[in-house]
Amino acid sequence: MFFKSLDLTTALRPLLLPDETLLFVQDAVGLYEGKYKIPDYQDGHAYLTSHRVCYISAGDPRKHSVAIDLKEIDRAEYQARFLKSSPKITIYPKPQKSKTDKSRSATSSPAVPPPSASRPNKSLSPLPQSIISQQAAPPSHSPAPINATWICPICSFSNPVPSNFDPATATAATNLPPCLACGIKPPFTTVLKAAISAASSRDSPLPRPSSVPAGEITGSNTGNHLLPLKGESVSCPRCTFVNHPSLRECEICAAPLKGQSTSTGNGDSRVDSPAPFYAQSRIPNTEVSESIKLSFRDGGEKTFHERLNGALIQRKWLLQNAPPVPPPSQSSAQNTPGATSTTLESPQPAAPRVTAVGIAGLEQRGLEARMNNQLVIGNAFEDLEALMASAKQIVALAETLARESGMSTSEGSAETHAVLSESAAALGMVTTKDMLSSGSENLYLSELSRNLAEYLTDDRKGILQREGGIMSLIDLWSVFNRSRNGVELVSPSDFQRAAELWEKLKLPVRLRRFKSGLLVVQRYDWSDEKTVCQLQQWMDELRQVPPDEPVPWDWSIFGRAVTAQEAAQRFMWSVGVAAEELEMAEDRGLLCREEGIEGLRFWSNGLATV
Amino acid sequence: MATPAAAPFQFPPTYNFPPFFTPQPNTNTREAQLQKWSSLIQAWCRHHRQYRLSLVEAVDSPLFHNAALRKRLDLREARSVIDWMTKSEEEGGGGRRAEWIDGSGGSQGPKAVAWVWWRRPEEWADVVADWVEGTGQKGAVLTVYELLQGEATESQEFYGMDNEAMMKTLNILVKRGKAQVFGSEGQEGVKFF
Repeated sequence: MFFKSLDLTTALRPLLLPDETLLFVQDAVGLYEGKYKIPDYQDGHAYLTSHRVCYISAGDPRKHSVAIDLKEIDRAEYQARFLKSSPKITIYPKPQKSKTDKSRSATSSPAVPPPSASRPNKSLSPLPQSIISQQAAPPSHSPAPINATWICPICSFSNPVPSNFDPATATAATNLPPCLACGIKPPFTTVLKAAISAASSRDSPLPRPSSVPAGEITGSNTGNHLLPLKGESVSCPRCTFVNHPSLRECEICAAPLKGQSTSTGNGDSRVDSPAPFYAQSRIPNTEVSESIKLSFRDGGEKTFHERLNGALIQRKWLLQNAPPVPPPSQSSAQNTPGATSTTLESPQPAAPRVTAVGIAGLEQRGLEARMNNQLVIGNAFEDLEALMASAKQIVALAETLARESGMSTSEGSAETHAVLSESAAALGMVTTKDMLSSGSENLYLSELSRNLAEYLTDDRKGILQREGGIMSLIDLWSVFNRSRNGVELVSPSDFQRAAELWEKLKLPVRLRRFKSGLLVVQRYDWSDEKTVCQLQQWMDELRQVPPDEPVPWDWSIFGRAVTAQEAAQRFMWSVGVAAEELEMAEDRGLLCREEGIEGLRFWSNGLATV
Repeated sequence: MATPAAAPFQFPPTYNFPPFFTPQPNTNTREAQLQKWSSLIQAWCRHHRQYRLSLVEAVDSPLFHNAALRKRLDLREARSVIDWMTKSEEEGGGGRRAEWIDGSGGSQGPKAVAWVWWRRPEEWADVVADWVEGTGQKGAVLTVYELLQGEATESQEFYGMDNEAMMKTLNILVKRGKAQVFGSEGQEGVKFF
C-alpha cells in the first residue's frame, strides 16, 4: 500500500477519477503511520471516495495531500474514543500476495484461473521444506471460489452459485444454470445478490495470519530483495536483537516484528528502503508497511468507518476496467416476434434477422428501442444491486432521454440543455448532506462552497466565462440545482451561506453585493476598478465615433448614451448585472444618468468633469 | 422691465448635455450639476437684466426648456435648484444666490418667485458705494428714482435695477452706516456719508 500523491481541483478538493464518487468528507482529521503522528498531516479533511481514501491538509493543501487506493486496503478497524485519545480508524494494507491476485482477477477474465502467484517463489527459493509447506497455506484461501448459494424463488432449493460467476463482471446476459431441483432459470438479481453477500462475508473475516502488519526486513537485508530470507532469523527493528523467525514480538524489547512479506513477482515495484516514516515529512509515494490511522478529532468516525467498509465491499474500482454492460435478456427479446437484436455483442448470431424497409421498418425499430428501454429500466429498478450493476447503462439512457427532450421542447435553450446533459458527468462530484455526518453543518457548507467553486471554474462548462465573468447568485443557484437533476437540491439559504464562505476558504470565486442588494458571483481577481476601466475605455471609444445623425450636443466631449442592454451585449453580462455595473460606475462618478422617454441611459460624466 | 440685449444668450455646452436635465443620484455629480444650473441661471438673469425669476414663467422659457433636446426641467426640479441656490455654502448650497419672495406668487403658492442674486445685495452695496465715492457724491442727497433711472447712473450696472432690490441694497448701506434712507413709500431719498 502506498501513499499516492493527489491531484487537487481549483477548490482544493481531490480530483476524482472517472467513475469515482465521493462518499464522505470529514474535517479535523490527523494521519498516523503505525503508532506515530506524521508531521504536517495533523489537521485536514479526509475524503472517502469509492476508489480512495484521501487526506488533504487544511493548512497547505497543495503540499500535504495524499491518497490511498481502496484496492490496496485489507480492512479497517474502528477504535473508539478513550479518555483523551480521539477515535481512530486503523487501515491495514493488503499483503502483497493477495493484492496481486485481486488485481489480476479484476483485469482478466474470470474464466481464466488465476495463475498461482507463489509459484516463482517456490521454484526459485532455496528454502527449507518447512517454509514451503508454511507458504503453501495462503494460496488455499486467497483464490477461494465463491462458496455461495442462491435460493430458488420457485422451490426454495439452495443452489450453489456457479464457480465462474463473478459479481463484478456478470450481467443479466450471463448464462445462468437452472435450479437443480425445479429446472427454472433463476432471476439474475437473485444470483448476483447471493454472490455479493458471499463475497462480502469472505472479504471481512477475522485477521488472517498473512494479514498481520506486513512489511519487510529493514536494514542491510534489502540487498537480497527479490527473495526475502524466509526461515532466517528476524532482527528486531528497534533493538536489532535477532529473533527466532516464528516470533511475532521481539524477545528483548517486545517491539512488533515485521511479518515476512511474501514478495511475489512484482517485488520490483516496491520502495527499497523505507526510512522511519514518522520522521519523514514528505510522504507521497512512500510505502505503508504497517498500518495507517486516521484520527477523528471532530467526530464523524463512525460514518466514515461504515462507508469505508461499504466501499471495500462494493469494490467500485473493479468497474473501472470492466467492459460495458451488454444489453440484457436476449431471451425476452427473442419472444417478441421479429425483434432483432440491434447490438453486435449479441451472443446469438443465429437469431433471425428480419430486415424491414420503409415506414414499417422505422416503426419496428422504434418499437424495438422502446422495448429495449423498458427492459433496461425494468431490470434496473428491480433491485438496488441490480441498479448498481447496470448503472452505466441507465446513466447513458438518461442522458439520451434528456437530450431528446431538450431537442423537442425548445430551440433557444439548446445550450442550456447541453450543459445539463453534460453535467451528468459531474454528478459524481456533488456534495450532499448525506455524505456528511449530521452535526457538521459547517463542513457541509464549506464542502458545498468548494463544490460550487469547482462547478464555476470548470473549464469544460465555462459557466462563468459565458456570462462575461459575472453572474447573479440566483442564476447560479438555478443552474446548479438543475445540474443536479432534481436530486439533493440545495436550499437557497445554504447556497447563500456557502457562497459567503468563498472568501474565507480562499477559493477562486467571490461573492459581491451590489448597492441594490443583488448578489453576484465573479472571479476573485475581478474588481470594480477593472469594470470601471472597461467602461471608461468604452466611453472613450464612443467619443471617437461621430454619431449617425447630427446631435445638439458636442459628441467629442460628451460621447453618446448607452443603455444597460448595450452594456450587457458588449460585455456579455446579463442585463440585470449590466444595470448594476453601470450604476456602480455612476456611483463612482464615472457615469451620469439621463432619464427620458427612451428609458434610463448612461453617459460619461460630463457634469462633474467638463 | 429689462430690455433684452441684442446679442442672444450664449448657453454653456452642458445645456445640450441630456443628463443635465435629470437629477443625478450620485451626490458629487449632483453637486456639480446644481453648480452648473446655478451659474446658468445667474448668467441668464444677468444677460436679461432680470432680478426676479418667476418659475412658472421660466419653466417654459429656453432657460429651463431645451427645445433641441426636447428636455426640460420641470417646476419641481427647478424649485429644488433654486432651493439649493438659496442655501449658503456652509449648508451645502449655492452661496445664497437666490432668495424666495414670500407671498409674491399669489395663487401659485409659496416658492413661485425668487430673487436671483447674480450680485448679492452686499455686492450691490459695494458697487453703489464705489460709485458714490468715485463721483464724489458723499454727503449728497439723491432720490432712489435718480439712482435707478437718472442720467448719471446710465452707465452703471445698477441702472434700471428693481426698486425693491435697490432698497435691499440701500438698507445694507444703512446698516454699514454709509447711508441714510428717508421719505415715504415710493418717494424715498437717500443720503450718502
